[in-house]
Amino acid sequence: MKISWKKYPNASTYDEYVTPQNSLRGHSKKIGTFLESLSIEDLKEINIATEAAIKSMGISFRVYSEGSLEGQDRMWPLDFIPRLIRKSEWLQVEKGLKQRVKALNMFIEDCYNKQQFLNESDIDKSLVLDSPAFKTYCIGMKLKHSAWSHICGSDLIKAHDGKFYVLEDNLRVPSGVCYMLENRMIMKRVFPELFYQYGVTPIDAYPTKLYETLASVKNSRSKNPEIVLLTPGIFNSAYHEHSFLAQQMGIDLVEGRDLIVDKDGFVYKKTIEGLIKIDVIYRRVDDDYLDPEQGNNNSAIGVKGLIKAWQEKKVAIVNSPGCGIADDKAIYSFVPKMIRFYLNEEPIIKNIKTFILTNKEQREYVFNNFKEMVIKPVAESGGYGIVIGKNCTRQEKESTIRKVRNNPRNFVAQPLISLSTAPTYSGENIAPRHLDLRPFILTGENQYVTVGGLTRVALKEGSTVVNSSQGGGSKDTWIV
Amino acid sequence: MLSRDAEHLYWLTRYVERLENTARMINVHSELMLDFPGDKSLGWKPIIKTMDSEKLFQNKYSEYSEISAVKFLGDDKENENSIISSLEMARYNARAIKDDLPRSATEQLNNLFNEFSGGMSSSSSRRKRASYIYSVISGTQRFFGIISDNFSRGYAFEFMRLGRFVERIDMNSRIIDSLCINKSNEQTHDFHTLEWVSMLRTLSAHESFRKEIRGEIERGDVINFLLKNENFPRSIYRCLTITEKSLSALPKNNDVLEVIKKLNHRVFSARLNVYDDKQLHNFLDYLQRRIHLLDEKIHKNYFHNYL
Repeated sequence: MKISWKKYPNASTYDEYVTPQNSLRGHSKKIGTFLESLSIEDLKEINIATEAAIKSMGISFRVYSEGSLEGQDRMWPLDFIPRLIRKSEWLQVEKGLKQRVKALNMFIEDCYNKQQFLNESDIDKSLVLDSPAFKTYCIGMKLKHSAWSHICGSDLIKAHDGKFYVLEDNLRVPSGVCYMLENRMIMKRVFPELFYQYGVTPIDAYPTKLYETLASVKNSRSKNPEIVLLTPGIFNSAYHEHSFLAQQMGIDLVEGRDLIVDKDGFVYKKTIEGLIKIDVIYRRVDDDYLDPEQGNNNSAIGVKGLIKAWQEKKVAIVNSPGCGIADDKAIYSFVPKMIRFYLNEEPIIKNIKTFILTNKEQREYVFNNFKEMVIKPVAESGGYGIVIGKNCTRQEKESTIRKVRNNPRNFVAQPLISLSTAPTYSGENIAPRHLDLRPFILTGENQYVTVGGLTRVALKEGSTVVNSSQGGGSKDTWIV
Repeated sequence: MLSRDAEHLYWLTRYVERLENTARMINVHSELMLDFPGDKSLGWKPIIKTMDSEKLFQNKYSEYSEISAVKFLGDDKENENSIISSLEMARYNARAIKDDLPRSATEQLNNLFNEFSGGMSSSSSRRKRASYIYSVISGTQRFFGIISDNFSRGYAFEFMRLGRFVERIDMNSRIIDSLCINKSNEQTHDFHTLEWVSMLRTLSAHESFRKEIRGEIERGDVINFLLKNENFPRSIYRCLTITEKSLSALPKNNDVLEVIKKLNHRVFSARLNVYDDKQLHNFLDYLQRRIHLLDEKIHKNYFHNYL
């Protein structure tokens, strides 16, 4: 049996390959025609080849379930049908992301210094000042290139109008970039012929750009700065990525126990030859686990005295401690205002309308239109704790409303957006599945945006949950 | 190079080498048994003894049967020297340093783990077992091949080589020792010859040995070859020389070099071919103790230098 676009069950949402009349869109014609030349058996074979490549390359992620501390390694799920984005469209998005992250970095530095935005806009100051992400030890700090969130992963979605919107910004320790790079490696193994035909823009520059970004924030004058990647260790869910990036950049992958703050206040790594001074730490450890002298942990993950060394500019930390203040779904709704405030520009990429639930009017509006809403906890990630109004039973609705009333600061609400779809292998045939996109934005001496990003796809029919820990998959993203 | 990475690299290759040697041992001993199907006196006990695991074995199994022994050496996770345990330890160490290894080497390790982490699980079928063992050995050799072909020479390489050869000296001296301590005088001359041949084959030394010494297989020749030959890569002397070479390439090596140089000289000058079994056993015992001392010093010098 052959694949046929005429029989493709195009849903009511925007499909990135196929028009509502079931004909291929311009930029997807080539690959759409190629797919049409395949049979169901071919698809099965390609899928097996894809899985074999993933297994042999050892591309995995770790899932934690209740009752298991160590978690379990699972093979990374990649759907072999690429997601396509037109180059002209992408260039606009890239511009918009740079603009956005620039404003966010200015906002963070402002929060810890003059607090102009807090004083002059209509934002509720307590959203920032009472947040656990606001670190008092950052007050008064000014950083090189004013960069706080050097690596930002913003989640974009394409709505029914075919336009990209920002869903959230991950400014602390965003992950996923290695899967973007590895998806491409797998696709080259599986579909070499398509790359010859298509002229897909390469994405491999990322590790080099990341290294340049890290090197550009060093405080010392050394030409060959000593840079390390700090990981919580092999049991962390993103360990695979930490090790991948360290290898690609040729830097040491260290744990807290490999580092020491010596009597001179500088940070050193323990090597077979002795102590070696560190200039820049790319940390993949949360703020609260960086330094047992700060925060409320007695964890073995951190390095004693690290925050003090950072304050004294004896080491640079990427992303900077305290940058999580802008990584909050309530703060998110103010980003367009920040862009106007700091840059005096109009936002290039739009936000999703967000209701702040501490505001009584907005809260009541959300409750009255519950079926059209998505309620999100402000500080969770990974898709956890999200309530989709139209899927709720009456009891679930009431319990959600109660939770929000008890602690309105902990939640925001957004209207339910129907995510765009792209054809995806369903195990039998090709069917539309919902997508999002996480590009990564680097900020140091220069700004850089990944070419495309990591496309995540909800593998279950109708589902919009794209997180890999909850049954999501991924696609290679082609800028064509 | 990070002290912790150095330690992981060292232990990674130690475990891979260990599992390869264990696989060789199972293989050769199984084949030896085929030549003496009825002989009850020849059992798997000497092999278990070689690994210092008699106690654990006796607690778990009632007799030194082929099935129990092969299960114990291959699939038993409680036996820390079994193939499966070594695989798991190798995987643990590899996971911590996969950023230091060439991608192709990591892939080869993954293939090894994926293919063999289920164990032989068919210790009763000799044919399946033999093919399992052969794939394990060719898998580890492919891994070492990638390392020696694709890995830049430097500290990381030296620690990997060090781990591999320290392990090989340790294992080989145990294997040779097993023939000294378990020999009974009732056996025929033919049997002893077969035993020497099987040892040569365990250490992949038979063909090389034959190239240098033809005719009747003499005990003294075999011992000299396995311990003192300068060209055969699995001889103790050769392994010691490579170990010394690796240590010379490392920083702060006075302490460790002293141990290895002395030991090297001792092996070189000993007239092993005239030693009787007891003398040889004592010599191997000495060798083992020095290797453990060396291992200790390597740990203190490079891995735990900040404790």
